[in-house]
Amino acid sequence: MKRSWWYRFTFLIIAGVISTMMIIPTALDFGEESKFPVKSKITLGLDLQGGLYMILGIDFNKVYKDEVKGYARKIAYILNDQGIKTSVGDFSVTDETDPLHSVVLDSAADLEKAKEEVKKFFPSIIRMTREEGTTLFYGLTKVQKTTIEDQALTKSIEVIRNRIDEFGVTEPEIVSQGSNRIVIQLPGVKDIERAKALIGKTAKLEFKMVNDQLALSTMNSWLEKSKTSGIEFKTGMRFSEYLATLNDFLKKEKLLPKGFEMAFEKTVSKATNEVTNMIPYVVEDTSKLSGDQLQDARVQIDQQKNEPYVSIEFKASGAKIFEELTSENIGRRMAVILDGNVYSAPSIREKIGGGRAQISLGGGGFNKMMKEARDLALVLRAGALPVQLNFEEQRTVGPSLGADSIQKARYASLIGAALVFIFILIYYKISGGIAMVTLVLNILFVIACLVGFEATLTLPGIAGIALTIGMAVDANIIIYERIREEVRRGLSYYKAVETGFGHAFWTIIDANITTALAGLCLLNFGTGPIRGFAVTLLIGIVSTVYSSYFVGKLLFEFYMNKTEGQDLSI
Amino acid sequence: MMQIIKADTKIKFSNHYMVTGLISFILVAVSLFAVFSKMNYGVDFRGGAEIQVKFQKDINLSDVRRTLKKEGFKVQAQKIGEPTNHEFLLKVAATEANLNEVTDKVSRVLNKDFASDGIEIRKVDIVGPKAGKELRLSGFQAMLWALIAIMIYIGLRFDFKYSPGAIVALFHDVSIILGIFALTGTEFTLQTVAALLAVIGYSVNDTVIVYDRVREHEQKFAHLGLKDQIDNAINETLSRTILTSGTTLFISGTMYFFGGLAIKDFFFAISLGVLIGTYSSVYVAAPVTLLFQRFTNSEDKTQAEGAKA
Repeated sequence: MKRSWWYRFTFLIIAGVISTMMIIPTALDFGEESKFPVKSKITLGLDLQGGLYMILGIDFNKVYKDEVKGYARKIAYILNDQGIKTSVGDFSVTDETDPLHSVVLDSAADLEKAKEEVKKFFPSIIRMTREEGTTLFYGLTKVQKTTIEDQALTKSIEVIRNRIDEFGVTEPEIVSQGSNRIVIQLPGVKDIERAKALIGKTAKLEFKMVNDQLALSTMNSWLEKSKTSGIEFKTGMRFSEYLATLNDFLKKEKLLPKGFEMAFEKTVSKATNEVTNMIPYVVEDTSKLSGDQLQDARVQIDQQKNEPYVSIEFKASGAKIFEELTSENIGRRMAVILDGNVYSAPSIREKIGGGRAQISLGGGGFNKMMKEARDLALVLRAGALPVQLNFEEQRTVGPSLGADSIQKARYASLIGAALVFIFILIYYKISGGIAMVTLVLNILFVIACLVGFEATLTLPGIAGIALTIGMAVDANIIIYERIREEVRRGLSYYKAVETGFGHAFWTIIDANITTALAGLCLLNFGTGPIRGFAVTLLIGIVSTVYSSYFVGKLLFEFYMNKTEGQDLSI
Repeated sequence: MMQIIKADTKIKFSNHYMVTGLISFILVAVSLFAVFSKMNYGVDFRGGAEIQVKFQKDINLSDVRRTLKKEGFKVQAQKIGEPTNHEFLLKVAATEANLNEVTDKVSRVLNKDFASDGIEIRKVDIVGPKAGKELRLSGFQAMLWALIAIMIYIGLRFDFKYSPGAIVALFHDVSIILGIFALTGTEFTLQTVAALLAVIGYSVNDTVIVYDRVREHEQKFAHLGLKDQIDNAINETLSRTILTSGTTLFISGTMYFFGGLAIKDFFFAISLGVLIGTYSSVYVAAPVTLLFQRFTNSEDKTQAEGAKA
């Protein structure tokens, strides 16, 4: 055998061994604690393991309305500050996607100055559309709308992710699709009604005073103690359940001061969705001020210090409570809690009246602070400005249906494959045997790739694997028929095999590229299960070209070498 | 050596073009008419809700209907799958606004009233009408893009004179499959789109094999016209075409018969695609390529004559 044959053979052996290693945990159904070096198993799609798949649409029209009203109030505030007497007007909505809001000036004499001031304070945020006497109508600019859309989308995903974490789903997928949709996939969820309710509700924002007398070390010692009694947060648990048991325990042990409870600031890794860090806080157990008292929260930049901060504005009733709270608690910290999780705990420096406050950030560079400020504003507004989410598509699959489907599809694929194997063995004899080896390797490679790429196996995906077998046989047939032709033309077996493979190469490539083109279009179009089909089809194409052509050629070279070109059973 | 098609087969396919052309034309026309008049769009594209339920015991379809009617729901119910499975598909009628609520309520009523019959809600699909419309649009767009991509690929790899034949053949295949779906009342779902795209990618293969062969012989048999060259190429590759389609049909056929309800329609489309695709590579792609060539040739000629005059 030539040296290059040995290289290619070694490559095949390595690929084969790696692939076998990849599929062993799936094939033998290893548990978490197995000693096998490969841990990952094939991920089953929602249609196979059951679960919930949803597409939520965000209704931006409501958000625009809230935003434009917020700005109208701000304009009135700023103009009054400049000595131009102004009051907030009303909505004027003719186009739902572009709501307008008016401000009314007291005197027509201030008109030009007012316009100038607004332009100066809100460049590229709002635009004046028309004026009627002393009434000015304002709408949002395109740039601002895009910013709002981005923010609303990020915010919604963040809020939903939080709630899903609550739910203890092992591998949730929450991603945006386009600019106004969110796709949520929750495999294995059983309590579908609750999941839906949880996702659909609006966020709950609370402000609670922090008990600063307790040192971090004290709190950590409590946590240690609870751990020894078996109360510990593990991935997959509902966080709220853990928190409730923990607080019950701490109360029972009389560790918590009266009227206080424990809460955490969690850091969640975006990549793995796992809680990476938890900072404990002891906060009041009832909140005097909640998110519905909040009017607005925004990132602003302090021009002198060039530092971002978050400005918040309370409604009239909230402003009063806030004033009381701040005057009583100067020097203490106030925790911002969203859906039960602490997000931030700014210190109160002075009594704050008028319902407007600034939250400055910890420092650490402009970009870091900017990010922090955006996150905090997002959290604050999640309670104040709920986004209207509409269920556009919702699919739920019970676990038994998927199990049925897998069983049937697997059974049918085996029959189909067996039929094809029998046929090629009869039709092509020993060469048919070679084809069979390449087909088995092909299936092995496809499944190993699915495990390796952490792709999801869906029902159409199984269909894709079956189809791959069908198309891989085609590649073998194209080569073999060509070899037969060459033999008929009187070439020696050795030469016939060589020319056959040579001529068949581009035909096989052409055939597979056209299928790949269709597969790519499908990948672009589909979500969920359909995407699974496109992925398997594409993996199958690459694997087919390798196994049917290159591995086939390798085996034929060996076969020809063995018979020294004297015999060819095809 | 076992052979399905004898090596020296010489069928004059081009003699059949008149008849097959007419048949194909009629089939496509009828199919297109059926697609636009009576396509049974599934919940994915129509919008609405579907609930798949299974009972442990034998249940009368009319019992299910009565219960739901009594509670004031407008529900279409049909039995699906094997008779021993006691499985039903319920189509819930509702407006976009209360689709979710109604579906939840229907599930609850069923769970309550049929608790003793071992009811199991196996699958619920809810698609808002707006989303359905968009899905339909993007599904057809995906097919269109695939056709365009393949046309360009064939043009670049072979010659643009071959592209129209391949594309007309693919269009022919897809329309007839859709037509059969419409005429048999088979639901057109997201899976169908996936199957059609696979068919588009697959059924062009036979055509490519023929083109490949024509190109190989172009120099060798330069004295022959394109018509005879195509005839030769089809004959030479005939056993290959039949074998590859046959083995793929083995697989898609077994999947269709034994693969379970959930992928039956998918493999119905694939099987149809393999059959029709094989036919069209011989009887649609080839004649269209010839027609296109005659058309461009005569154009060349008139231009040449015009230049002379």
